[in-house]
Amino acid sequence: MSDKHLLIPKIEDGIVIDHIPAGLGTAVLGILQDHAELRGTTTAVGLGLPSARLGRKDMIKLWSRDIPDHVVQHISLVAPGATVKRVRGFAVDKRYVVALPRELVDMVRCFNPNCITNVEPGAPTRFRCVDETARLFRCAYCEKVFPLAQLERIRAAPASEVPWSAE
Amino acid sequence: MKRDLVSIDDLATADLERYLALAARVEAMPERDKVHLLVGRLLMVLFFEPSTRTRLSFESAMKKLGGSCAGFAEAAATSVAKGETLVDTIRTVAQYGDAIVMRHPKEGAARLAAESCALPVVNAGDGANQHPTQTLLDLYTIRKLLGRLENLSIALVGDLRYSRTVHSLVNALRRFAGVRFVLVSPPSLRLDPHTTRAGPGETATFEETTDLRAAVRQCELLYMTRIQKERFPDLIEYERVKDAYVLDAAVLREARPGLRVMHPLPRVNEISRDVDALPAAAWFEQVRNGLFVRQAILLDVLGVTP
Repeated sequence: MSDKHLLIPKIEDGIVIDHIPAGLGTAVLGILQDHAELRGTTTAVGLGLPSARLGRKDMIKLWSRDIPDHVVQHISLVAPGATVKRVRGFAVDKRYVVALPRELVDMVRCFNPNCITNVEPGAPTRFRCVDETARLFRCAYCEKVFPLAQLERIRAAPASEVPWSAE
Repeated sequence: MKRDLVSIDDLATADLERYLALAARVEAMPERDKVHLLVGRLLMVLFFEPSTRTRLSFESAMKKLGGSCAGFAEAAATSVAKGETLVDTIRTVAQYGDAIVMRHPKEGAARLAAESCALPVVNAGDGANQHPTQTLLDLYTIRKLLGRLENLSIALVGDLRYSRTVHSLVNALRRFAGVRFVLVSPPSLRLDPHTTRAGPGETATFEETTDLRAAVRQCELLYMTRIQKERFPDLIEYERVKDAYVLDAAVLREARPGLRVMHPLPRVNEISRDVDALPAAAWFEQVRNGLFVRQAILLDVLGVTP
């Protein structure tokens, strides 16, 4: 058994987010903690683990039956290329690589202060990927193009304002 | 499905052609045949930002087709000033009229309005973003002046950064084969570099310069713009560039023969009055064409075939 398995316990039923580029694990953890459905879930975090593919990587294990699609979409904003594995009875029964979505709906805020979505209360936001390599997204409203890194993630409402969703 | 006109980017080239053909048909029709086309229809004209030309043009277009108009010319006198949201305003107005024409200082406002109601929404300008009806009338005018939209050499002059007219026109003209854009602006008012990147299958070329005289010698069409004081976050920068380009008869003496000059108006001092009488001047013709194009747009969004 390798060192990393000693550092992060094996999971019988849950979710493993693997191959997170080293240094981005805490950002992914922040996203998980932002989502009410995952609050209170037992979580193990490994940072800077050795990886044959990446050299170093971060990894997160969640003692949760599943991970909602919209959470995976949010993870894709900071760590595209990470692998999500669903574990059942200590074996991986589903695995997929997190891809950058073609469209971001209500996930990020427009960087343009003059965009109506930053002024109108409750306005939706929608962005379409126009360049996957450069990670450029175009606002469906003001039609301006921004690098994804400039678009602030819309955080979930504070815990007190959302109904608690137990596992 | 309702038909909106929010952004030139929403229109396929066939849609642009359809609007231009309809405008030509409207222009050719005798006035007496037009005055019944929109009888009983009410156009809601919502101008959250001041405008003379566009608003009067739409109101004239509607009335000359037999329809009527209601609305406001500035947000100060409306419930918007009391804090009402745009969506609530639009949903309220949608209970009264048959179509909405709106101008708003925020970019994307027309898209949000179109998504918020069942009436057709026509964007008459949203911040520095789009002004699709101006673009359609510009295309209509260019084709009338030069007989084509392909293989043009057009110089866009002045405020290329904040001018929604320029943004929309570039997005429309670049679809036609072999269009050469010469972009003349001070460095601080350049066109967004994302705009000048060629899309798939496009043959448009872009050249940047700060030299108006060089552009006048090379191009067959000059599209002048006003340096828009109201869009500058920094008025010191405005003062620095406001008179960067002035087109006068002396500059035009160097022009390539047959050069035509367009301007979306209003102009301040970027075109000298001594140019008005020259054959190059085409801006009032543009204004006249705007009436036919807006009539075509109203007929189209209201589903009336002349």
